Amino acid sequence: MALLQIAEPGQSPQPHQRRLAVGIDLGTTNSLVAAMRSGLATPLPDAQGRVILPSAVRYLADGVEVGHAAVAAAASDPLNSIISVKRLMGRGLADVKQLGAQLPYRFVAGDSQMPFIDTVQGAKSPVEVSADILRVLRERAEASLGGQLVGAVITVPAYFDDAQRQATKDAARLAGLNVLRLLNEPTAAAVAYGLDKGAEGVVAIYDLGGGTFDISILRLTRGVFEVLATGGDSALGGDDFDHAIAGWLIEQAGLSADLDPGAQRHLLQVACAAKEALTDADSVTLAYGDWSGTLDRAQFAALIEPLLARSLKACRRAVRDAGIELDEVEAVVMVGGSTRVPRVREAVGELFGRTPLTDLDPDQVVALGAAIQADALAGNQQGEELLLLDVIPLSLGLETMGGLMEKVIARNTTIPVARGQEFTTYKDGQTAMMIHVLQGERELVSDCRSLARFELRGIPPMVAGAAKIRVTYQVDADGLLSVSARELGSGVEASIQVKPSYGLSDSEIARMLQDSFAHAGDDKAARALREQQVEAERLLEVVQAALAADGERLLDAEERAVIDHEMQQLRELAAGSDVGAIERQARRLSQVTDAFAARRMDAGIKAALTGRQLNEIEE
Amino acid sequence: MSTCHFALFDLQPAFAIDLDQLAVRYRELARETHPDRFADAAPREQRQALERAAQLNDAYQTLKSPSRRALYLLALRGEHLPLEATVQDPEFLLQQMMLREELEELQDSADLAGVAVFKRRLKAAQAELEQGFAACWDRPAEREQAERLMRRMQFLDKLALEVRELEERLDD
Repeated sequence: MALLQIAEPGQSPQPHQRRLAVGIDLGTTNSLVAAMRSGLATPLPDAQGRVILPSAVRYLADGVEVGHAAVAAAASDPLNSIISVKRLMGRGLADVKQLGAQLPYRFVAGDSQMPFIDTVQGAKSPVEVSADILRVLRERAEASLGGQLVGAVITVPAYFDDAQRQATKDAARLAGLNVLRLLNEPTAAAVAYGLDKGAEGVVAIYDLGGGTFDISILRLTRGVFEVLATGGDSALGGDDFDHAIAGWLIEQAGLSADLDPGAQRHLLQVACAAKEALTDADSVTLAYGDWSGTLDRAQFAALIEPLLARSLKACRRAVRDAGIELDEVEAVVMVGGSTRVPRVREAVGELFGRTPLTDLDPDQVVALGAAIQADALAGNQQGEELLLLDVIPLSLGLETMGGLMEKVIARNTTIPVARGQEFTTYKDGQTAMMIHVLQGERELVSDCRSLARFELRGIPPMVAGAAKIRVTYQVDADGLLSVSARELGSGVEASIQVKPSYGLSDSEIARMLQDSFAHAGDDKAARALREQQVEAERLLEVVQAALAADGERLLDAEERAVIDHEMQQLRELAAGSDVGAIERQARRLSQVTDAFAARRMDAGIKAALTGRQLNEIEE
Repeated sequence: MSTCHFALFDLQPAFAIDLDQLAVRYRELARETHPDRFADAAPREQRQALERAAQLNDAYQTLKSPSRRALYLLALRGEHLPLEATVQDPEFLLQQMMLREELEELQDSADLAGVAVFKRRLKAAQAELEQGFAACWDRPAEREQAERLMRRMQFLDKLALEVRELEERLDD
């Protein structure tokens, strides 16, 4: 028997409610949330009717601004206004220093190697900044859809490595979102495009966003989206076009390249505005301080040519990886705001020998595709089922003797995938083996991304080469890796969920989760615990209220003492983390209050107390 | 290993298989096993779905690639296959060395047209090996020849990979 809370008449939850799920495009420059409404994927606007949320966060002494307001303050308050934070996700301090000259922030080192940004609210990790953006989108969606979300599909660049994916998932967790799936952006775009146009055959998705570039080659067959190959550059985007124009302007105006953060931000805004103007105009006049000058399309095209060349090279490689020829690609879809640049469309068209398709809004198409998949994963889908078969973008492997990378799973392998490889000891009596998990295409360990290190201990001493150690890599449908190692003779085992070296350390995560525990999301164990705690708190409140109302009248001292004792027990357990114990104690408390509850019913008190959320016995 | 890869796809073990039919069956099976189908299930079921989907992907990749399919067929026949190539095949090795030298020359001269011709020759050589293997793999008396042809296929796979890498370098 359970104590049940009664809702006010008219407030009772609807029985067959549609499970609310959204797709979120967490972009470098702009973010969006979309959901299925009346069978159509639709972007959800904010209270002012704006669909796009600029991915900008400003930290104030007494609050946080996200979106348009933060962008507006970027030049006046550059150190506290964080833009393009996606470029920092899953990156180490060293990677960031390479981008350093272009980023007007003060970086500080955290417990892990992740760069923290020093703001008026203290050090903020890129994960926290991203979580602040996601939180706004979650709240927008809940307000707009009128209920709690079951979960969200969050898109990531296809070329994101394991560390960048993990960082994105951590950010969603912090924002109180249950991640149904991490979905590759071009795959999401293909879903929106393919379902819209009923397309079949081989398509290429060219996705140039604010800070990342992806190319994916897919085969579409009756609702199945099979990624044949993917490639790209997770540090190439429209931001770089702005930097190219800014560099040109500095040269033209004879400025020192060493600008203060506010001036730098202002300069980039001037550059970005010029880039956007050149989408429609043949030339544009720029003004910066006392200087003014003209930039035309041809000059702009020349400035971005090296960047464009990098993207086209990635396209050729993806086509080769897909095992097809360029002319077998039947359609090219443009995604991402930067594909509005006419020269980009032209160059992609020349490469594939066909006019790229631009009929779906390149800013929205990713979020729309994510919404479609979120709806399917939440179990709302009817009719022909959608199936996405994606791949890993970069090879996964481990370090072998001599600092070499040995590949275990090659890039563009369909996920989920599990693969094992056998290794042996190289010294007599060796009892431990270090496993260094790597991602990348290069031969040398130093050229690959280090994802994790762990040790297999307790190997029985044997002569060199006699031990058989099987290392198994498993990549799930989110593209996230876990690794295990086992000595086959003795059964000694070790495994890790790969927590990338560049990700947040567990203690950092724990701290952040505490900071925002009300939103503590997706981690199943944490979630189960939290649910049980909430349940216990609710039960305690309910019993407390009943005791206050009728305890004196309906219970004798001994009965009252028993209930007080069990309540105290539950309070103590609920403060801990033993889910099972909390659950058992809650049941115990329910049992010892059964008779009390029955007496309250009998006494006809129920009627007197309706409207105060009283409790009833069910079953 | 659980089910035989061929049985999984409703096929008889054979080298000559219909790749289109294989792809169709793969998509059907993937619909049933993909973790997306179990987004709502208990963690245990999700783990099982993940494993089944990974197995299916592995089976598909094995059957799709001629050399891996050949190796799998020979392993199915029960006899132990040494990991490293111990099959004596001096004639083929000599030919391999010549091909590799040719590839190096193409790299030095950055001859893209030459690479395209080389690729076509490689494809033809692969097709020839596959025909040869299809004709002999299930005859116990020709086991040694089948193994030799399978090793040759593996060599040509590696060579094809090198051609891809060369194309990449020439693209710089």
